Amino acid sequence: MDKGQNTGGLMSSAGLVRYFDAEDSNAILINPKTVIATGVLIGVLVQLLTFVS
Amino acid sequence: MGWKEAAEPVLTRMPAVRRPEGHVPFKRKLAWTAGILMLYFFLTNIQLLGIEAGQADDLFGEFRAVLAGEHMSLLQVGIGPIVTASIVLQLLGGANLLGLDTDDPRDQVLYQGLQKLLVIVMTALTALPMVFAGGFLPAQQSLTLGGFTFDSTQIQLLMFTQIFIGGVLILYMDEVVSKWGVGSGIGLFIIAGVSQRLVTGFIQPTEGGFFYNWYLILTGQMEVGSLVSGDGLYTLLMSDGGQIIALLTTLLIFAIVVYAESVRVEIPLSHARVKGARGRFPVKLIYASVLPMILVRALQANIQFMGQILNSQTGDSTVISLFGRELPWLGTYSDGQPVGGFFYYTAPIYDTTDWMWWTGEVAQEAWMVMIRIGVDLTFMVIGGAIFAIFWVETTNMGPEATAQQIQNSGMQIPGFRQNVGVIEKVMERYIPQVTVIGGALVGLLAVWANMLGTIGAVTGTGLLLAVSITYKLYEEIAEEQMMEMHPMMREMFGKE
Repeated sequence: MDKGQNTGGLMSSAGLVRYFDAEDSNAILINPKTVIATGVLIGVLVQLLTFVS
Repeated sequence: MGWKEAAEPVLTRMPAVRRPEGHVPFKRKLAWTAGILMLYFFLTNIQLLGIEAGQADDLFGEFRAVLAGEHMSLLQVGIGPIVTASIVLQLLGGANLLGLDTDDPRDQVLYQGLQKLLVIVMTALTALPMVFAGGFLPAQQSLTLGGFTFDSTQIQLLMFTQIFIGGVLILYMDEVVSKWGVGSGIGLFIIAGVSQRLVTGFIQPTEGGFFYNWYLILTGQMEVGSLVSGDGLYTLLMSDGGQIIALLTTLLIFAIVVYAESVRVEIPLSHARVKGARGRFPVKLIYASVLPMILVRALQANIQFMGQILNSQTGDSTVISLFGRELPWLGTYSDGQPVGGFFYYTAPIYDTTDWMWWTGEVAQEAWMVMIRIGVDLTFMVIGGAIFAIFWVETTNMGPEATAQQIQNSGMQIPGFRQNVGVIEKVMERYIPQVTVIGGALVGLLAVWANMLGTIGAVTGTGLLLAVSITYKLYEEIAEEQMMEMHPMMREMFGKE
């Protein structure tokens, strides 16, 4: 029904940051797994460095 | 050439998390959400490299409950930068100074890019004073890593980098939850932080824990005066004793929020072509949700940060000085807390010990306390209403946008012509009024809950946010499950 329409504005429970469907072809796209992996890696790295220091 | 053309090359290239292609099964969504939540808790437990162990003042202070994150951890800034960036965007967008039309795909891309850039700038701006203004995150004197020795300035730089990375990580973690999970990351982090404090407030096995305090009282290890003279009753009620008032406030806020969520004005709708297909459009009392409240609190928080930073520069003196001149009207501090001046009056009330002047625990005069309560109330009630209006406008929940949505779904209000303008007129009778009343009410509730105290010092705002976000999350999960069971619904709602 309202398919082609953007649903971004209806996210009432979504937080303070708004995401729309529109994306620029120039944008660098990150895989969500990369985000989690980076987070875990940084956490482990900092903890390890704290141990050796 | 406007700012849009000038900023376009930068804003369109901001890295973004990939959107899922096609439908993400509900179980997968839950898994993403749980994964991010675990990562959040993991990161809050990693202490910054190079920090001096021991006690240090948290720049966020009492605002920590709302702004999530953990002091001295990688997630030091929590969602603070995101909230501050959002305030800027809300104000600019609400006053229509940006000139961005969020229905236009190109402007949407710009909006997203601007939002991200602002958060990153704010992360740096929040992290800078935390590390370099002294006292908040004390750096070690020296640090040796693999034969290389850092001096204290280098360590500060190292800490700044870690905090900055943590802040950016939070931003992307929120994006992952928003695109791949249930609800939003920010909501999730707030619930996580508040729940953790609430549970700790109940079960911590040291003095201050609700159950532990009662254990002390019942076994006679805590002095409770005579119940007849009032002393004993006082101990049982207050936050350093039996915490009965805090318990009641906490429970009452739960009940009020859940009840208020169901208070609504329903506008009847019928389908223009399908006879008998009827629906209702609910205008809820807490229409704009409680999220605008976090913006008001963050505004107060930023004022307090300013005071804290100025105070950290004054050295031993208790009075804030600027350019070598002491300014008592701006603020005087004792133990890192404002006790007089501008920064005292603009500090929110947190606890009974902040305002119950007749108990003798408050250092200020009654009239000073009164002014502070007045300022806090005004700030929260009026600020709550204003930010609720902006919120409704920027999230497309205003009369114009909702009228368009109803029109697009083929519905109309029975007894009225099928016309966007007509629906908008009817909506204008309800939405602005309900928004203002809801916003002001939530502000009032938050101040009232803070005055009476809450279990685990989660603060009224924290509790309000946590309960209403959880409620929304529950609604969202229910909707997800319905769509999971009836794939037809997905097509109807256009969610692929």
